Amino acid sequence: MKKTWGMTEGAIVCCGIVAGGMLLQLLAGPVQWDAMAWPLNVVVLAMMLVGMTLMHLCRGRVRLFRWMATLQAGIPAMLTCAMLTILMGVTRQTPSGHVPTDPIGITSMLSFWPFVLSYVWLMLLVGMVCLTRLGHPSWRNLLFLVNHLGIFIALVCGTLGNADMQRLFMTVEEGTTEWRAVDSRHRVHELPVAIELHDFAIIESPTMPVYASDVTVYTKKGLVVRDTIKVNKPLAVRGWKIYQYSYDEAKGKESRISVFELVRDPWLPYVYLGIFMMLAGAVLNWLVRR
Amino acid sequence: MIDWNDLWLFALPALVCWTLASLLSLRGKWQGLVYVSAIGGLIIFGAYIALMWISLGHPPLRTMGETRLWYSFFLPLVGLITYARWHYRWILLFSTMLSTVFVCVNLFKPEIHSRTLMPALQSPWFAPHVIVYMFAYATTGAATLMALWQLLRKQDHLTAIDNLTRVGLSFLTIGMLFGALWAKEAWGTYWSWDPKETWAAGTWLCYLIYMHLRSSRPRSIRSALLWLLVCFVCLQMCWWGINYLPSAQGMSAHTYN
Repeated sequence: MKKTWGMTEGAIVCCGIVAGGMLLQLLAGPVQWDAMAWPLNVVVLAMMLVGMTLMHLCRGRVRLFRWMATLQAGIPAMLTCAMLTILMGVTRQTPSGHVPTDPIGITSMLSFWPFVLSYVWLMLLVGMVCLTRLGHPSWRNLLFLVNHLGIFIALVCGTLGNADMQRLFMTVEEGTTEWRAVDSRHRVHELPVAIELHDFAIIESPTMPVYASDVTVYTKKGLVVRDTIKVNKPLAVRGWKIYQYSYDEAKGKESRISVFELVRDPWLPYVYLGIFMMLAGAVLNWLVRR
Repeated sequence: MIDWNDLWLFALPALVCWTLASLLSLRGKWQGLVYVSAIGGLIIFGAYIALMWISLGHPPLRTMGETRLWYSFFLPLVGLITYARWHYRWILLFSTMLSTVFVCVNLFKPEIHSRTLMPALQSPWFAPHVIVYMFAYATTGAATLMALWQLLRKQDHLTAIDNLTRVGLSFLTIGMLFGALWAKEAWGTYWSWDPKETWAAGTWLCYLIYMHLRSSRPRSIRSALLWLLVCFVCLQMCWWGINYLPSAQGMSAHTYN
């Protein structure tokens, strides 16, 4: 028997992951991403990180864990992800949230188990190799980590945080305070922020009309913010971004109501951290001499 | 006040400077003059963009012609930085030729100057996103040609191929991430898996595989080079191929050309 595993074993593992994913797809149906909301996503992330650390610590004894941080494991994983991504590119995808229109499930690739599991596997390997490099600080490893940790953070946080993103619409009448908002499926949500509309106005400027709402925003924890919200000038309060969205178009200037779009994306700072690390890595890859 | 009629007054001297720099670098002579000439061209062309900016009262980014000005400016700039870094003798000629194409379109097709971009594209992100991708296409294209050359003629260009691919991959990464940041700002999500994005992700992974394959198996040169050809086919699919792909029809936010 060989001392270490190689690329062939990597390919076999990937085939196993795809086959296992197919089985899951048949038995359990497509991946239910809506379930991956808080707190499940944090639990999954914690388990992933703990599991990776344990595997990393046991790498001296377990050959598999040692191998997971090698290119021989990584290249077949990348190839599998690339092939499934290209398969996604050549099949017509159903809009998000819809069930696949084919018996296998590839028309809804993002909820196709083999696709999801292949990317999970790739991210596990990336995480494992990062742990290995973290133990040996050097300039070379810094560049390596900026690239690899960057994609790890961006992809893992972007995927796990997707279900936590909220996008709601709130209609407020002048002189009143509102804390209820509706989502795209017209379900009503009670929010931890309330908006009091003092005045809605359309200001004529030389280039284009400016829609502006003079508001006070209250949070449950007692924060009070008075400001003017305009198109392209949203207000950020406690994790919420409040955009000027609409008004009573029939009444125009005389509109007594203003409609706000409220967006909350609690994982965004981490996704941005990952993206900016990757950007830094790309610039360094271009300029740093090897 | 300055307008499109004055373009040639700046563009021609700039192109002369860039061509001079290209020829000198190709012959490997008078290094100092290469830089002086290339930078001189950038200053002249940059001055035209700055004057247009002043006379328009906003950054020239709203029409096809205006964005083309930025391509013409940034291609030689990125080419010059790459030249300073690796001293590829032909890279300046390459970037100058690409830049010339855009200058010529602006000079000889004046009717499209005023064609405004659709509102979604009137963003400060548009020009950097496209310029970075143009350069990525250019460097990966050059790497592909050299790979073909090496496969057919058995000459060794491997170091140059690897370096160019690394530059190309860096720029593919930057272009993709600029696109994500722009999309978040304009549409609220950084990645929506529309066909162009899906192909961009697939292509990016393919180039990543090449880079990792080169460090994992430095001796299997032939298979790595053949893989590089596969990468380039994917890139073409991503760039213009999806416009003809049945599965992508009417699905992409990227089909406005």
